[in-house]
Amino acid sequence: MTEEPFRWLEAIANRREYIRDQLSGGTPVFAVSRPEGIYLLGVGSGHSKVFEIYDRHGFTALGNPVDIEKIRQTAIEAAHLEGFNRSAADVTLKRLISFSLGPALKNSFEQIFSPPFILEGIFAELSGAPSEDHLVRIRYDGKYEFVPQGIAVAFTDPPREAEAVGWLKKTLADTDSPRELASTLLTAWKTLREGGAFDKVQPLTDLRPVLNERILEFALLDRRSSQKVRYRPLALAL
Amino acid sequence: MTSGAGFHLMNGDFLSLLPRTGIPSLVQTEGQSAPLQGTTVFAFHCAEGILIAGDHRATAGNMIFSDKTEKILELDTHSVMAIAGAPATAFEMARVLQTSFEFYRRSQLQPMSLPAKLRALSRLLRENLPATLQGFGLVAPIFAGVDQNAPEARPGIFFYDPLGAQFEAAQFAGSGSGSASIKSILNHLEKWGVPRPEKMSLREAVVLANRLLITAADFDTATGGVHPESGLFATVKLLSVTGIRDIPGGEQTAFWKEAHR
Repeated sequence: MTEEPFRWLEAIANRREYIRDQLSGGTPVFAVSRPEGIYLLGVGSGHSKVFEIYDRHGFTALGNPVDIEKIRQTAIEAAHLEGFNRSAADVTLKRLISFSLGPALKNSFEQIFSPPFILEGIFAELSGAPSEDHLVRIRYDGKYEFVPQGIAVAFTDPPREAEAVGWLKKTLADTDSPRELASTLLTAWKTLREGGAFDKVQPLTDLRPVLNERILEFALLDRRSSQKVRYRPLALAL
Repeated sequence: MTSGAGFHLMNGDFLSLLPRTGIPSLVQTEGQSAPLQGTTVFAFHCAEGILIAGDHRATAGNMIFSDKTEKILELDTHSVMAIAGAPATAFEMARVLQTSFEFYRRSQLQPMSLPAKLRALSRLLRENLPATLQGFGLVAPIFAGVDQNAPEARPGIFFYDPLGAQFEAAQFAGSGSGSASIKSILNHLEKWGVPRPEKMSLREAVVLANRLLITAADFDTATGGVHPESGLFATVKLLSVTGIRDIPGGEQTAFWKEAHR
């Protein structure tokens, strides 16, 4: 098959279709850079979606739990190896994604005789100021982009993802409390999940009906902390 | 020539050549203090948890390398190691433990158990046996930790011999060249002190820790860097079930002034 370029392209197209189909039931995850740090939010039903990677690094993703776990473990191993051999300051997303995870995901996607990674995710790196934070949107085929303006959404539908980012930029304010921020993100989560339009959406006040027995995962990479480890899971009173 | 550790140096070998050329020997020889082992660290139970403290001096024989050395090292949010011995080996052990504890917690999504942490340090000490036997890599640390996986966990103090054997201290532990006098005082206070150290408030325990180090420095040239009258205090950390709290110089100054009005 691989000797014939047309067949290879067809196999890749089939692979994309298969992955999109597998991802179609997934719900979005978010990362937002703020003066007090970077917030990560996901809503799970039995499987975690928000993780700590290293001292200043977090990860959130949707997709197949096994594939999320493989990428999480790979990222943790690479970050700790780098941090031990050099220093914590040398653990950067630029190097981690560009030289380690990105190529690995791309290789996996293009190896058409082996199963692909089924996930969409966001990596976050905390710095001294919001303008220096890094949010990286990484896709199942190894494509990645450093997201400007401090708001990243990972979902299964890129145009809807862009709509959500636009709405969040208009709606979020630097003065929002963590609960207000979570409400706004959960409103975007509900709108994306239900396929609604963003033009008339207002942030929700009662979050319990939205979650409906699901587990809210909300964490902060805390810029104000003097501790080496900045990742902090947050518990919200709903 | 026989070293203090019982090693025989041959005439004309490299290690015996060093002192004759004016360079401090790496191996303890007769009439010499143990090189790179001068220090004083200790830990004792107080009312709020475990107080771990150490001086700031690093020495090689009779040379002072530094009076600003940090010997009380946080390994993770619930474990601390106080180091005594060869600094290069001790710092590297702390770095290995820091990385392995954090790696385990992040990758397994749960903290490592206290027994596993204790074994990890024990294993490192055992792996260091060749350097210890050669006389220049000896490390005798104190470890204080809380088992985050146990609901009724209480902080514990553990000490090791240089070969890796681990012991739990009921009340206190000390290590380093100045620890003998400190352990004697703590033993006395635990038996007849009012209040006993384990009943002391944080303020009383911090003042006691600085007084102990000043006393140790009076009898041991390798202990130093603690001068409250000049604003130089011991490194002091408090370990409790909620985690580790660093007691900074400003807070120690207030405690010291209150106790010496």
